[in-house]
Amino acid sequence: MRGRGTSLLVMAWRNLWRNRRRTLLTLSSIAFGVFLAVLFTAMQDRNWADMIDVAARLGSGHVTLQHPEYLESPTLSRTVRRTDALTALALDDPDVTRAVPRILGQVMLATARESRGAGFIAYDPAVEDSVTFTVLDALVEGESFSTPDDGGILLGARLAANLGVGMRDKIVYTMTDRTGEIVSGLARVSGIVRTGAPSVDRGVSLLPLDAARGVLGYAPNEATLVAVFIDDERRAEQVAERLGAATASEVAAQPWHAVQRELAAFIALKVGGARFMELLIAVLVAAGIFNTLFVSVMERMREFGILLAIGWSPGRLFGLLMLECGWLGVLGLLAAALLTVGPYYYLSTAGIDVSGLIGDSAAEVSGVAMPTTFRVGIYPEHLAIIGVTAFLATLLSGLYPAWKASRVDPVETITLV
Amino acid sequence: MSDDGTTAIVQLSGVTKVYRQGKVDVHALRGLTLEVGRGEFTAICGPSGSGKTTALNLIGALDSATSGSIVLEGQELERLNRRERSRLRRDRIGFVFQAYNLMPVLTAYENAETVMWVQGIDLTERRRRVLELLAAVGLEGLEDRKPAELSGGQQQRVAIARAIAANPAVVLADEPTANVDSETADRLMGIMEELNRAQGVTFLFSTHDPRVMERARRLVRLVDGQIATDERRG
Repeated sequence: MRGRGTSLLVMAWRNLWRNRRRTLLTLSSIAFGVFLAVLFTAMQDRNWADMIDVAARLGSGHVTLQHPEYLESPTLSRTVRRTDALTALALDDPDVTRAVPRILGQVMLATARESRGAGFIAYDPAVEDSVTFTVLDALVEGESFSTPDDGGILLGARLAANLGVGMRDKIVYTMTDRTGEIVSGLARVSGIVRTGAPSVDRGVSLLPLDAARGVLGYAPNEATLVAVFIDDERRAEQVAERLGAATASEVAAQPWHAVQRELAAFIALKVGGARFMELLIAVLVAAGIFNTLFVSVMERMREFGILLAIGWSPGRLFGLLMLECGWLGVLGLLAAALLTVGPYYYLSTAGIDVSGLIGDSAAEVSGVAMPTTFRVGIYPEHLAIIGVTAFLATLLSGLYPAWKASRVDPVETITLV
Repeated sequence: MSDDGTTAIVQLSGVTKVYRQGKVDVHALRGLTLEVGRGEFTAICGPSGSGKTTALNLIGALDSATSGSIVLEGQELERLNRRERSRLRRDRIGFVFQAYNLMPVLTAYENAETVMWVQGIDLTERRRRVLELLAAVGLEGLEDRKPAELSGGQQQRVAIARAIAANPAVVLADEPTANVDSETADRLMGIMEELNRAQGVTFLFSTHDPRVMERARRLVRLVDGQIATDERRG
């Protein structure tokens, strides 16, 4: 410093290392707090994003284009027409990756021996794959339909068992058409799916789109909805607004959380709990930092008295202490990055299989199975919030000790007498 | 003007200082009147509790008098607010305390530079002045040592360099030889005498130390917060 002159920044840095052990302990508490917050948030972000994605792909998409009254009163009479035009319109949006027509409704499935009520999803095998329709990945027997008017039906594994049917067995499906008439179709079991979500496996059947249209008396471009898919589910609201503005009044664009209300409420509740936990971690870390900073200040009262006596202003002294906190914050974040990067990388790529803990009956929310592999993936803005919060918490912890130092009475602390 | 005809830098008139200790009022100074002229080399001595350190604290704008007036270079200290007092100390007063004067994280050079740094003096000028002063107090070659690497006497010499670096009107030294051996005390006094003689720096000591009293050119003896004797020498 001799060549450059004294610098507050360098002085603060050196002060930090006067009690190396205490500084390292403080840094480790910041690092560990950030580590916990990052992994905790990353686990939540990934988990909820995955669940939302699965729910969207299993049903109505991240954004749903449907009849304006379908949301409150979902019947097969409330449909959207010109699905090809709606699909093209959706695909024009820069956030949209895929858009597909689907028919969702209730069906009665009957064999010679058994009958069961279930939900059905009719999809177009020509435009859908396991990316838009992840349930196809859960096929344990058979395969997806070959054409939109394929005469097959795919059943949840538990539903098939309850009906006592296997591959190639006949099933009669009965539903109510747009006029309220009972209509029926015949299909052969062409596949069995096992998703792990009990409500799906025991209550969902899949039909070819055109076959369902034929039975229901729909026009060729008619469906109950167009499921729109985007890469980032957090943009669903904006995409829905744009599509809603671009479509005619007989079509409503709904984001996933308006359609999947139960799932949205569950996630909101969990996110609220997570924020509380993160706040608790922040307070605990801040309390630890405050304690060490306060002790450090109390030990140096005489020095502060001398500095004030020789003409340092209280503001400069306050600045010195806050710079020490600033250094602690910066180093704490660096330490946190070093501590977190390895475990984060492992958990985001390999993950930990927790299926053994969950067992065969996977937990589910709103028909969506909870992931059985524990993985993490944090949104960049959440990472930034944690970093900024940790840094600000460090600065805030130092405010009172720094203020106290700047208010030192030199006569009392130097003890000249 | 002070009594000996020099320009008065410090003027105390009827200064009292009363401390409250528990339920008891302690009268540290009782109507102290004193003038210190420019270029003086004055020691205030007296037994413990006589008020010598209190007097230095008041002159150094570190504390406020209960009554009376203290004027430093024409500025009445009681009229100054906290910020103005801080600025006055920075620009016009040098301090040397008994011991542990220095910032442990700063080198001898940096410690000596501190006051000039907060004054905002240009880096080149600071460097020239600090190196000159450290050489004057016999610390050439030790500029980069931290206080822990210096002896007690060397640390006090750095404190002296720091105190006079910013050309103060007066250097207030509280028992500057209290924690050093005789040889070091002699050397410190020699350095301060030389700075007083050659550069005209005004020194005002509080001391018990006979070696300091011997070398002071004016000796003010306090007893019970009042001047008992005020002796000027050669």
